[in-house]
Amino acid sequence: MRGLSIFIYEWKHFVSSPFKIIALLLFLVASIYGLHNGADLYMQQSNEIERLNQKAKEEKETILSYFDKSEKGPKNRPWVDITTPFWSIWYAPTYHFKKPSPTIVYNIGQTEQYGFYKKIGLYSSPYDADMAKEIANPERIQSGTLDFSFVVLFLLPLLLLVLLYNIKGSEAEQGFLPLIYVQTGSKNWWILSRTLFYTILLLFSLLGIMLYGATLTKVFEADNAFWTIFLYLTIYLVFWVVLYFLILKYGKNIISNTLQMIGIWLLFAFVIPAVVHQWISIEKPANLMIDLIDIKRDKTDEIYEQSNTDTDNQIFNLYPSIKQTKTAQDTIAIKEARNDSRIALINVAMKNAISKLEENNIAKNELISKTYWFNPLTYFQNKLNHSSKTHYDDYQTYRDDIQNLVDKRIEIMVLDIWNNVKVDKTKYLEYNKILNK
Amino acid sequence: MLQIIKNEWRFLIRSRIFLGISIAFISILLLSVFLGNYQTRKQEQTHKSAKDHVRQQWVSIDEMNPHSAAHYGTYVFKPANLLNSLDEGVNSVTGNVLRVEGHVQNEIMHSEASQMQAISRFGKLKPSLLLQYIVPLLLIFLAFNSVSNEKQSGRLKLLVLQGAKPLQIILSKTLSVWLYGMMLLIFVLLVYSILNFQSLTIDILTRTGLFFLSYTLYYFIISAITVYFSARWQNATLALTSMLGIWIIWTIFLPNILMSSAEKWHPLPSRNQFQSAMKEDRSKGLDGHNPSDKRAIALKEKVLKEYGVDSLSQLPINFDGMRMQADEEYGNSVWDKHFGNNRKILRKQKQSFQLGGIVNPFISLQNSSMGFMASDNLHHQEFLLQVENYRRVFIKTLNDKQTFGGSKTGNWRWKADNTFFKSVPDFVYKPTQVSIILSNYLLDLALLIIWSIIITVVIYFGTKKIQIV
Repeated sequence: MRGLSIFIYEWKHFVSSPFKIIALLLFLVASIYGLHNGADLYMQQSNEIERLNQKAKEEKETILSYFDKSEKGPKNRPWVDITTPFWSIWYAPTYHFKKPSPTIVYNIGQTEQYGFYKKIGLYSSPYDADMAKEIANPERIQSGTLDFSFVVLFLLPLLLLVLLYNIKGSEAEQGFLPLIYVQTGSKNWWILSRTLFYTILLLFSLLGIMLYGATLTKVFEADNAFWTIFLYLTIYLVFWVVLYFLILKYGKNIISNTLQMIGIWLLFAFVIPAVVHQWISIEKPANLMIDLIDIKRDKTDEIYEQSNTDTDNQIFNLYPSIKQTKTAQDTIAIKEARNDSRIALINVAMKNAISKLEENNIAKNELISKTYWFNPLTYFQNKLNHSSKTHYDDYQTYRDDIQNLVDKRIEIMVLDIWNNVKVDKTKYLEYNKILNK
Repeated sequence: MLQIIKNEWRFLIRSRIFLGISIAFISILLLSVFLGNYQTRKQEQTHKSAKDHVRQQWVSIDEMNPHSAAHYGTYVFKPANLLNSLDEGVNSVTGNVLRVEGHVQNEIMHSEASQMQAISRFGKLKPSLLLQYIVPLLLIFLAFNSVSNEKQSGRLKLLVLQGAKPLQIILSKTLSVWLYGMMLLIFVLLVYSILNFQSLTIDILTRTGLFFLSYTLYYFIISAITVYFSARWQNATLALTSMLGIWIIWTIFLPNILMSSAEKWHPLPSRNQFQSAMKEDRSKGLDGHNPSDKRAIALKEKVLKEYGVDSLSQLPINFDGMRMQADEEYGNSVWDKHFGNNRKILRKQKQSFQLGGIVNPFISLQNSSMGFMASDNLHHQEFLLQVENYRRVFIKTLNDKQTFGGSKTGNWRWKADNTFFKSVPDFVYKPTQVSIILSNYLLDLALLIIWSIIITVVIYFGTKKIQIV
């Protein structure tokens, strides 16, 4: 009952404070703007994926028409023969997408750091030049998109500050604090109830905004992501409420409380993440991909220059079954098969270099994770990134999938070349089906 | 006025809290300068060793067909700039490695941001982060009750009775707060100059001077508005909360919203649309690898006529190299058209964003800070252009060797020797001189100056309405 009356008084206090109402309205407007930015990106990426699927379909139709017309390939490419596994697989259009999660509406995360589609070829790798991010203004990427998570992570603590800053301080300055203590019985209970009122108000506001976001994309199709995100936001809100409550409890006046609140916000939002970022950059500088470059150039040359026996042994080692094929026994046919199969050896070398590079990135991420206990903003940002599938790890999974598709493509090609498979329309369609699984 | 400023400083120095905050803040600033500098030095070393490694590979080519060498290509790494230790700008999101090869113009790859999980939305602990976001807040904290306190204690009335004019009092208080910001700024630049004394050039000094000017103006704007609010409103809390509101809107809200809007007003094509358009245009030109291409045949006829021979085998040169170069030149014109278009869009976005400085001087500060520290998109585009120009020279050198180096058409086994590969120049980045790009930032500087003038005028006329008691 005592708590309820504090709540009712706080409601009256809130509605009679235009400053607080405007702050809340601004927060709501910024949140809705952020949600629309996320939804726009979701639509943009979905449309682009749709367009690329259509393009792939057209490419496939073109190749199928060659089979229908008994042509070997495009007229301006006389060396192409689509009845061979090599060229047939070369011309099997395969795109792999990092499909946007509907929860991207809440958090864009690291989406804009990476590309989200990749045309897979025999020479592809997850670190190809076409894996570059979308064309965008780097100054905009650097300043970040104002998405919902940005609003919550950076502006929610400020909104809370505006709502709480004069609790206790105002009464203390007007000299009726002792009277309130007498009326309410407990100082802590009184401050806590008033703080709780705004916490509940913000929780309902966040839930309302998130539900509005759910109308923009099909958020509820993404497992429990909606509730996971809401849970993280609730914990985040509680984290700030506790901090501010302690400041209010031990604070003496409005100005000192406000300065302490803004100080702690600056510390967590700016200073600590910036220090960690700087430290990581010094400890683990950006990789200039020298290992990858070496493989692309020198190792590739080495593979092409090594003896036939070495090449054969390495290929047989990779695909033991082809050793028994007729091609392997045919001194003439083996030449072309060997030549086309060198891609597989280059792919293995590339994978070795990539794994080193990724180990370095994993070490970097582990280092960042170790700072979470004193770097809550980065922790919550990355948790939200995980929930909206826009975290580094999600893009790593995407890269791994690309590598698996390349491996599969090469394996089918090598096996069919050595088994002397002739490709017709049915086989070409079969390739498309397997490679696009 | 000078006496009021002196008194203000005396009060500030006597305050233990102020001294404590100043010492702590100066330590963080010092740390940011040291770390920024250390990181840049480390980046320079990594960059140099990567560059040397790739160059060593190139000059170690014993013999190779020049066109194979064009496919072998080389790599250019985005160099670290000494100025970036003050403001990193877009560098952590733009990529660091660019493959230079025949037939294609690749995109820059492997940005630092793409190699790890998210950390800081506002970048690393560079002096620019502290100078742009934190120092203005410190100035607000120093100024929000500078006049209201005097009113409450009755000192303001006393000062007026002693002959000081309200305008003088407000301007003096503004200047004393502003001087504190200046002191921090000068401190940062001084430490930076000492650390990099050996590498300072006229260009770096000019850029640093302009950087200093931008911050000086912005700090004046912040100090003046806060002191004015403190004078106009009876309540110090109201002055503080209003200024915090302005700070949030200027530094957190508006830059984000305006930049996103500028991108929507002048949209860039998607990567796929862009590449498809390039491919489409490129397909209308000559295909260097296809001798039966119609345009290649036409070029062949023309060359045969020029040399007065009937067949390619009679040519004293290698026509393959010539065809490759024709293909490159066509590709270059396609690149110029499409990338030129993108650059135009980016420029429009930048101009629209710069105009945001009319309502938000922080935008002008951010633009000029990045610009003068050579870390904005304009400098990044300039770097990409230099790489593309180098690519053209690089590929032409190889194609010319193929054409005029002594081989005959169709002889793809012919190889140039090591002396030739050693003679191919390496990429040398020429830092953009500030005099060339200064015009791009005049608008930002002008807006900061206009803001300063407007605030001064508002103080001049607004002071008359201020109640002394």
